[in-house]
Amino acid sequence: MAQSLAVDTTFWGARVLGVAAVERELTRLRRALVAHAREQGLAAARASVLNLIVYAEREVHARRAAKSISELALRHPSRAIVVLADRGAREDVEARIEMHCHLPAADGATQIYYEQILVRARGDSRQRVASAVIPLLVPDLPVFLWWTGAPPVGGPPFGDLLGVTDRLIVDSSDFARPDLALPSIARICSQARGLFGVTDLNWTRLTPWREIVTSFFDVPAWRPFLDSVSGVRVGFAVDMDGRDIHPSQALLFIGWLASRLGWRPQGALAPSEAGGLLFGIARGDGTPMMVRVRPRFERGLEEGDVSGIRLQAQREGRLAEFVVKRQPDPRHQTSTVLMNGEKRWERTVPLPSPAIVELIGEELAILGSDRTYEEALAALVRMS
Amino acid sequence: MIFGGSGDLAQRKLIPALYNLALQRLLPAAFCVVGTARRPLTDAAYREELRMAVAQHSRTKPLNEEVWRSFAENLHFAATPDERGYGKLREMLDRLDQTLGTHANRLFYLATPPPAYASIVRAIGDHRLRGDTGWARVVIEKPFGHDRESARELTEILHTVFREDEVFRIDHYLGKETVQNILVMRFANGIFEPIWNRQYVDHVQITVAETIGVEERAGYYEQAGAMRDIVQNHLLQLLALVAMEPPAAFDDKAVRDEKVKVLRVLRPITGDLVATNAVRGQYGRGFIEGVAVNAYREEPGVARDSRTETNVALKCWVDNWRWEGTPFYMRTGKRLPKRSTEIAIGFRAAPHQLFSREASEGLEPNALVLRIQPNEGVSLKFGAKVPVQGIRIRSVNMDFDYGASFMVEAPDAYETLILDALRGDATLFTRRDEVDQQWAFVDPIIDAWAAAPAAPPIYEAGTWGPIEADLLIERDGREWRKA
Repeated sequence: MAQSLAVDTTFWGARVLGVAAVERELTRLRRALVAHAREQGLAAARASVLNLIVYAEREVHARRAAKSISELALRHPSRAIVVLADRGAREDVEARIEMHCHLPAADGATQIYYEQILVRARGDSRQRVASAVIPLLVPDLPVFLWWTGAPPVGGPPFGDLLGVTDRLIVDSSDFARPDLALPSIARICSQARGLFGVTDLNWTRLTPWREIVTSFFDVPAWRPFLDSVSGVRVGFAVDMDGRDIHPSQALLFIGWLASRLGWRPQGALAPSEAGGLLFGIARGDGTPMMVRVRPRFERGLEEGDVSGIRLQAQREGRLAEFVVKRQPDPRHQTSTVLMNGEKRWERTVPLPSPAIVELIGEELAILGSDRTYEEALAALVRMS
Repeated sequence: MIFGGSGDLAQRKLIPALYNLALQRLLPAAFCVVGTARRPLTDAAYREELRMAVAQHSRTKPLNEEVWRSFAENLHFAATPDERGYGKLREMLDRLDQTLGTHANRLFYLATPPPAYASIVRAIGDHRLRGDTGWARVVIEKPFGHDRESARELTEILHTVFREDEVFRIDHYLGKETVQNILVMRFANGIFEPIWNRQYVDHVQITVAETIGVEERAGYYEQAGAMRDIVQNHLLQLLALVAMEPPAAFDDKAVRDEKVKVLRVLRPITGDLVATNAVRGQYGRGFIEGVAVNAYREEPGVARDSRTETNVALKCWVDNWRWEGTPFYMRTGKRLPKRSTEIAIGFRAAPHQLFSREASEGLEPNALVLRIQPNEGVSLKFGAKVPVQGIRIRSVNMDFDYGASFMVEAPDAYETLILDALRGDATLFTRRDEVDQQWAFVDPIIDAWAAAPAAPPIYEAGTWGPIEADLLIERDGREWRKA
């Protein structure tokens, strides 16, 4: 217990008492930096374009998030407020809030720095967390809330923090129960009503897959096949013994296709081989078809990442297959078009890095809501 | 001469300010301070009490013992429990004039609770405490009266002893660097004044937010409320500085003439307008910076069924050529989420939307924000292109941070104001006609609230006030800034 209560001040900075003290300490550090930079004939800028609140219930998540943000500081200089809260209520710990702050140099550069504040909430602090976080926000800058776990449904502090948020970022890749968590995110989206945007890093991971699948149908000769898709298979990575099944990313892809192409659910969702799922779908024109999501073990992939996509379409006696695989290695995508089993075209492009830093960097560039995502999620929830 | 010389204000603000002036070598060579209070105290005990206070409250630390010693030699105490006490005080002042050669120049500072003002002023007159040869000035703390009538009476009493140009009504907000900077921003720069009008300004928001509750001031606050405590003086002064016309000169007459012109054309909020343009609230329980706090009615010294407002939101109009159609929204309160005083000028949107709705989703109207406290500075919000393929627009802030730009700590407001009073510069003090207009504006609202059957709505401590305050501005299709 004693160990878990200690805060690593070399990482999180000195402890300060209260919001006013945080501002004073940051001002002091800033002045020291400016003075130091002037001596060397440089200018140090306070560049802040956003507030980022990170909510974590485990120190390792909080640290990983803080590291990612510091690596992003050149692209998105920010004030980061990392909330590290004890999981649930603990009766033996008095509810209280501590604050630490410092100015880590961004990515080794000394002229730009970002402001990092740790809000350590102990015991059952759910009611009080927001009152410590909100006054720390830099006025007038957009607020991003990065919720590192599955977001709870309403209630403090989630509801309170959401009230000041412009964009909520979650990551469904490690949700233990996507069947519960994804519908609850869909509900949050429907409550947002333009007050804030919602995104899922797993959706960001899908961007290159969506791009490449879309690009098939930019070709005039192949475009008609889009209306006559007769089957879809999406593979996602699992570990060797296939125990941890995280199909959220693959499911979002299905939701995206369904929302764009006007597919409707038909019949019940059925479990399929080795933890996979089988959807009965009615196409836009009413024709029934099957969509299969299946786990596959593949070396070098994070669990839950999409490993490959295959779309089949039949039209005027021709069978077209549109295939995307991670080939020749997980950092490349190869897309292939087969017509009646005969290879017509093939292309290999690099697959952007799926590192959290990159994904967060992408998401921080967008402020508004992502309607395509919200519609994909809604379509998925309708189907399951 | 400080009346109430061992009181809270003297200990926390006045003596530390004087000490810091001494530290900056800004005090005149021949100078002494006489503090008075009802209870008797020796000079030595008085000096020791103040030494502790300065060590604790001075903005510069630690205490410079050498400077303090020489400063303390000129600190004196006189007990004024009755008429005889004032007689002795007069002798003491004459004696000090002789030894120091101060030529009977006297600054009287009224730092007592307001009910004592009248009797002190009378005593100054009766006992001829103002010297025969030098100048005399009186500095008087807020609140100046509790309504228009009582403020006029107090001015009349003051005028039995002092001329109006000898009366310095203090509003310490005006002593703040950033408040003075409003005038510099507006009138020393060529780029702001041309757009400082109804044509370009959509609306103005003035916020004075505190996180503290009523603390030890329940006795006063129960009678005053946020309206008298903050709106009548600080908020209306800030509004006047933002809205005033350019004065012909930077002197006390020209600046205050222009301010009072604004206060005079402030559209009165009376009758039915009170319900639509004025909102009050009172804090309930909640959390401030992670700590659970009591409701206002649970605070010591507050009535269990108190109807005192701790939060006020107003929509005001300045009925003149420059501001016709531009509303001024003002809000203040205790137990709000953060301590912040700022003025935000919200500009109109670009006339023609060139970029798609999707591209400009992150774009908000331009705003110029004058931050008065904390983090004194100025920031300008404008839209910029996000560095990605295609056009995506995001609002960004260009920030000027006082502290980081000048690398010096701004003097405390009281240092500025005491020095001005010693020099006889009344620019930053409130004139009789200003106070009169300020009361004329707030009185009808206070009266309407007092007559209303309902108590003020309760808002949770740590929130920005009752929902009614949000509606006040949202009705107009605008919203309060995220301060």
